Amino acid sequence: MRKKRLLARTPVLLCLLLATLFSYAQNQTVTGKVTDAKDGSPLAGVSIVPKGSARGTSSAPDGSFSLTVTAATHTLIFSSIGYGSKQVDITGDVVNVQLTATNASMNEVIVVGYGTQRKREVTGAISRVGGDKISEIPVPSFEAALAGRAPGVQIIQGNGLAGSGSVVRIRGVGSISASGDPLYVVDGTPIIADPFLRGNGGAMNQNPLSSINPNDIESIEILKDAGATGIYGSRGANGVILITTKRGRSGQPLFTYSNKLGIATYTKKLDFVDGPQWLQLRQEAWLNDGHTGYASLPGGVTWAQASQTNTNWWDLLTQKGFIDDHSLSMSAGTSKLKTFGNLTYSNDQGYLKNNAYTRIGARLNMDYNALPNLKISLTSAYNRGTNKRVHAAWDGGIGDAMSSALPIYSVYNSSHSDYYRTTTNPVISLNEYRRRQTDQRLLGGVALEYQPIHNLFVRGNYSIESTRSNDDQFNTPQLDTSKHTGFAQRSPSWGKNETANLTANYLWNPGEQHKFNFLLGTELQDYTRKGYSTDPITENTDRPFWENGGEYKRLRDSLLSAKVHITEVAQERFTFNSFFARINYTFHDKYSFQLIGRVDGSSKFGTNHKHGFFPAASAAWNISDEDFMKDIPRLSYLKLRASYGIVGNANFGSGLYYDKYNRGTNTYNGLPTLYLNGLGNPDLKWETLHNVDAAAEFGFFNNRLTGEIAYYYKTTTNIILNPGVSPSIGFTSIYRNLNNSKILNQGLEFSANLRIIDGKDLKWSVGGNIARNQNKVLEYELGPDAVSGGTNDTRIVKGLPVGVNYLVRFYGVDPSDGLPIWLDKNGKQTKTFSLDHRTYVGSVQPDYFGGFNTSLQYKGFELSSLFTFVIGGNIYENSGKYQFLGVSKKFWNFRKDFLDHWTKPGDISKYPRLVADAASYPGVPSEDQFNSTMFLRSASYLRMRELTIAYRVPRATLKKLFFKDFRIFATGTNLLTFTKYPGGDPEITRDFENSQDRNLSPNITYLTAPTQKTFVFGINANF
Amino acid sequence: MNLHKFYKINILIIGVLVMAGSCSKFLDKPPQGQLSKDQVFATDSNIVALGNGIYTYLGDGNFTGGRVQALSDMLGDQLDGSNLTGDFSEIYKRQNSIFGGTRDDMYKKGYLVIATANNILENLQAVSADHQALAKGQALFFRGMAHFELVRLFAQPYGYSSDNSQPGIPLRLTTATNSISRSTVKQVYDQVVADLKSADSVLPADAGDGGKFYTATKWIAEAYLAKVYFQQNDFANAFLYADQVIKSGKFQLDADFTSRYSLGGTKEAILRLPNQVSHFQPGSEFISNWRSDTKNPTLYFTNQFYNYATGDAADKRVAWYSNTIKPGYNSLTKFNFNYMEQPLTHLTEIYLIRAEAGAELGGTTLATAITDINLILARAYGGTSRNLSAGATATAVIDAARTQRELEMVGEGNRVQEIKRIGARTGNNIDRRGSPWTCNGFILQFPKAEQDANAAFQLNPEGGCF
Repeated sequence: MRKKRLLARTPVLLCLLLATLFSYAQNQTVTGKVTDAKDGSPLAGVSIVPKGSARGTSSAPDGSFSLTVTAATHTLIFSSIGYGSKQVDITGDVVNVQLTATNASMNEVIVVGYGTQRKREVTGAISRVGGDKISEIPVPSFEAALAGRAPGVQIIQGNGLAGSGSVVRIRGVGSISASGDPLYVVDGTPIIADPFLRGNGGAMNQNPLSSINPNDIESIEILKDAGATGIYGSRGANGVILITTKRGRSGQPLFTYSNKLGIATYTKKLDFVDGPQWLQLRQEAWLNDGHTGYASLPGGVTWAQASQTNTNWWDLLTQKGFIDDHSLSMSAGTSKLKTFGNLTYSNDQGYLKNNAYTRIGARLNMDYNALPNLKISLTSAYNRGTNKRVHAAWDGGIGDAMSSALPIYSVYNSSHSDYYRTTTNPVISLNEYRRRQTDQRLLGGVALEYQPIHNLFVRGNYSIESTRSNDDQFNTPQLDTSKHTGFAQRSPSWGKNETANLTANYLWNPGEQHKFNFLLGTELQDYTRKGYSTDPITENTDRPFWENGGEYKRLRDSLLSAKVHITEVAQERFTFNSFFARINYTFHDKYSFQLIGRVDGSSKFGTNHKHGFFPAASAAWNISDEDFMKDIPRLSYLKLRASYGIVGNANFGSGLYYDKYNRGTNTYNGLPTLYLNGLGNPDLKWETLHNVDAAAEFGFFNNRLTGEIAYYYKTTTNIILNPGVSPSIGFTSIYRNLNNSKILNQGLEFSANLRIIDGKDLKWSVGGNIARNQNKVLEYELGPDAVSGGTNDTRIVKGLPVGVNYLVRFYGVDPSDGLPIWLDKNGKQTKTFSLDHRTYVGSVQPDYFGGFNTSLQYKGFELSSLFTFVIGGNIYENSGKYQFLGVSKKFWNFRKDFLDHWTKPGDISKYPRLVADAASYPGVPSEDQFNSTMFLRSASYLRMRELTIAYRVPRATLKKLFFKDFRIFATGTNLLTFTKYPGGDPEITRDFENSQDRNLSPNITYLTAPTQKTFVFGINANF
Repeated sequence: MNLHKFYKINILIIGVLVMAGSCSKFLDKPPQGQLSKDQVFATDSNIVALGNGIYTYLGDGNFTGGRVQALSDMLGDQLDGSNLTGDFSEIYKRQNSIFGGTRDDMYKKGYLVIATANNILENLQAVSADHQALAKGQALFFRGMAHFELVRLFAQPYGYSSDNSQPGIPLRLTTATNSISRSTVKQVYDQVVADLKSADSVLPADAGDGGKFYTATKWIAEAYLAKVYFQQNDFANAFLYADQVIKSGKFQLDADFTSRYSLGGTKEAILRLPNQVSHFQPGSEFISNWRSDTKNPTLYFTNQFYNYATGDAADKRVAWYSNTIKPGYNSLTKFNFNYMEQPLTHLTEIYLIRAEAGAELGGTTLATAITDINLILARAYGGTSRNLSAGATATAVIDAARTQRELEMVGEGNRVQEIKRIGARTGNNIDRRGSPWTCNGFILQFPKAEQDANAAFQLNPEGGCF
């Protein structure tokens, strides 16, 4: 197998090798400095490209640059964000250039799939977020920093567990069982970002993205429509997030040190009643149900014990966490060799005791101009994220503090000689259970860029993403009292993701007004993730394996050598084989057209549909350059663009298209076992998305007001569904593309930025974006309960959004007896609950979402803030129903907001009478079926996501010092939240069971830990 | 230059073509650790292994390794379920609704037994002659017993109507994945009997493991036939098959009834599921629900039943109960251990079937019935003092058999089926909770998914019991 893979790749290498042999040319090195025409200050990061070439350099922080060009080059093009581009003829070895600020980003070069484009020529919908925005705030994982930054990109930040991942949705969700997550591409390599690599272990989804180092990121481009994602074919439907890492620039070595130090706590927590009040409410419920005497108490606790105990479990499990983040980077370059290196250490303790995420990272990116027409680039990064895990949500820990760890329960026994073990006691596992999840990611690539002839650029790239993950757990003998030594286990897995691509780019300018850019490419991807056939590997031992690696190795090797016990198994494996082409044509520098076609084959697709073809067409018109627009006052820029294309979603598991049997890890009577493990479907293929986008990008008042308004219309068909089969076939799932299925996502996005004051010393700008997405299931034929989000009450129903809440309507409380009044399907009041009364009452999808920001600068001082908001949509408190029934035999903590309940005839109250058994409400089968709009909330909120005060030391002062730039800052995240939601934090990402759960139930909470609130201080220093 | 250009571009094109050519194998990379159907049915050992897998389902905590029995006991009239929550509470209250993972998992596991059995039956041609009879007989037995266990829980009992046309369960006889509607109870029982009889005709008389009976023999097929006919109140056939099992001489009553559930001690098991620590532990859900020495039991008895079962100090089986091991709980101690070998039908039950069926038939079989019930009584009371006389009436024998059945098979999920069988036989409601044996809530609701896959699927009416 290995040999074959190498063979498959040989042609790529061969081509590149041969190509290098044929290169020759005469060279010239041009140096110079780029400055601002206004005040003469040096301009960093200016793109300098020889005319007719796609490969250039960028200026160093002091504005200097050095570039080797061929003799055929006579002109250099200088361009930079916010400055006009300038063409300068090469008249000697030194070229000094002044650029004038245009304050328009239209000449900005942005990253697109397999290349870059000038923004004015871009025909697709792409939002760019600069790396500074990603690294400036402390977040559990880099993608959380995108929140509020890009229109139509919904980020629901992960919950309060360190390292937790966010739900990212680009222009809505069109999938049910297949993942709705975007494709993440780092420096051209599609990376593994599956949050279900470890399922839902310990009520947390492993987040592979958390190991990505925010300090490495130069920019993030979010591709939204088919004009942008079309080049990713079968994987473009959910949008693509392109991450470009920092690279070296020419000039003297520049070091950057930045840090953040601070504390973390929680945003909003739930308030529960204390022990005495809980007992009083329990007694009330007991008597309400017609019992007499003292109410029975759970776990054999007596009233005497209970009334003397008042434990605050939340306080016992939380802390003020320490945040500690350091990054040191170096950029240096000559005309031949440019280097960027970065070392990072960060530790986020979070607010849960014993919970922390520690990341160390190292990066080395190098670009070597071996020949004037040959560049070799190395991209390499190593990241290691160590997650000190704690139990959460349904698995215990802070989840217990919000559920079954009652204030009447004791932590220790009466003599304090041991824990109190009969009742829920999360302090035991806090002290006696340890878990480390370690994720290592090595992402390295080599690219050769070769220009065999004028205007032809051939680029070959090979990259490998190697991941290694250990999930270690350890129980002390105190936790696992049946074991005398302690119990260690490790669940290892390791993956290899190789990508090789070869592209050829040809620029053709037949006449002054016509510019063509042809791209032809092919790509192979091969991913394998392995683990052991028996997982986890366990042993009774006195130390965890991470402290005793030798013992683990000994154990593993002895098991491996015996072969019968464990073998290496490639649990997940897929390949993609793709061919793609793109033609860009620009006419008069005003009209741009783009055609894309991609053929994708994948091992994930069924035998009957091995390959798919995905075309896209798009166009842009810089209409403000037309003569008839020239006279419109105050208009500085206007561009119209539109796209249509067909892209796919192949974000589902592999090996799903055939019936599967697996060998049992158990035996029967000592003999091997075999199980029918799943039914397949040879017709399985990608989901198909038809994607239309139309937009206007504008600038007014000399581009002091800029923005974009976009409309899109997306329909997904061939929707992949896993459940909804008759369970009497012995299985509840078969992956298949549903006939007659269609989901619509249609929406409007608006973003704008206004520089209100733009003086030399004083600057004030405001910006923001808002998006409205209409999500609707247009065609669907299954019953209402066929698909549900995990254990949550969200459904798929024709005519309604994905993930509608399907609940019994709670009308109110009957003041005479305190019983709940429900509405049946027809809206008629009834006091008998029935699951037949369920109807569609809400949706977990917001009506509007977005963010706005403002920045005020005076001389070196800067005050900036970012707000994010959600308007409309619902939150369903799946755990709220049990918290309300806390004093019934469910025995959970009782929330203070439920105190507004009926106690005596005549009471007008929000919540009904308390009961000792949920079944005392007529018709309620059990507390599990007590789902109603009593716990359905509005999801609207406004959150102050970020507030930063910074001071940059003036350049004049710095000259006396060692530093080239020095900035100090203080940042707070999630400082303020405005919401009517009674259940704590309204930004909810719970643990999910699978992609379907994630698609349907983003706003469902089940003992979800609130997100972090942080305060940090730090510096950024260049020297 | 031009030549160079031509040459380079050609190399590029050739390179791309070579890559394209190598792609058909490149796209054939399934995950490892899985076998395809072709691979499985290529060797006899795989097919044997597939059958072994089904045995582990029989001891699985989701199916007959305790779940079927526990849910049956919740529907019965011995438990104090006032502190049960969630699915258990619903089932205990005899108001099982359309949702409930505990029930759904059991249903699914039962049908997985059936699906795997059908998978084997459809591919018998791939099995060599040496293994064919066993593979076929096992698969038929598995399919028959699983349908039987499920129809008893999800449909009104045999005898509920004169022609048994009440809806039963989906009868799955192929691996087709389309949704099918419920067959009638009669159709299900007929198929169960047909499958078990076919199994009986091809299964061996001995498991070849020195009397351990870790794999199916004709005797487990016949034991199930006895159970099925007995449930149908078809006493002649029940007697016939119970008699054949007993007369095979392969099984003996344990002298000590506590060894029936133990590690390696029982001689009663018609089919015994062996325990292999860390590889396969049958009966886990008996232990997790009932265990009362290391934790508070989930399932425990009402005072009424506890007093009834422990009222006679001479009864050695009183040792199965305790209200002191965990104060406040009327506990069963029958499953207080870490592991056990699980008998899937034991000789005690077969004797009790022959006793009651024999008495029902009367005539020459009554004497056999009296001998049978006296075997059970003598063991329970440590002597013959409580034995019935040789001249005991059929009614006395039937009464004794029913009483001994409840006491012997406590915690084995038997009682609720007796309430229904006796209801169908006599029309009397013997439920201590006072519900009519025909009330809706006495059977489980189907998983809602059946209806979502097929709107025409008929769910059970709910509620109506006490």
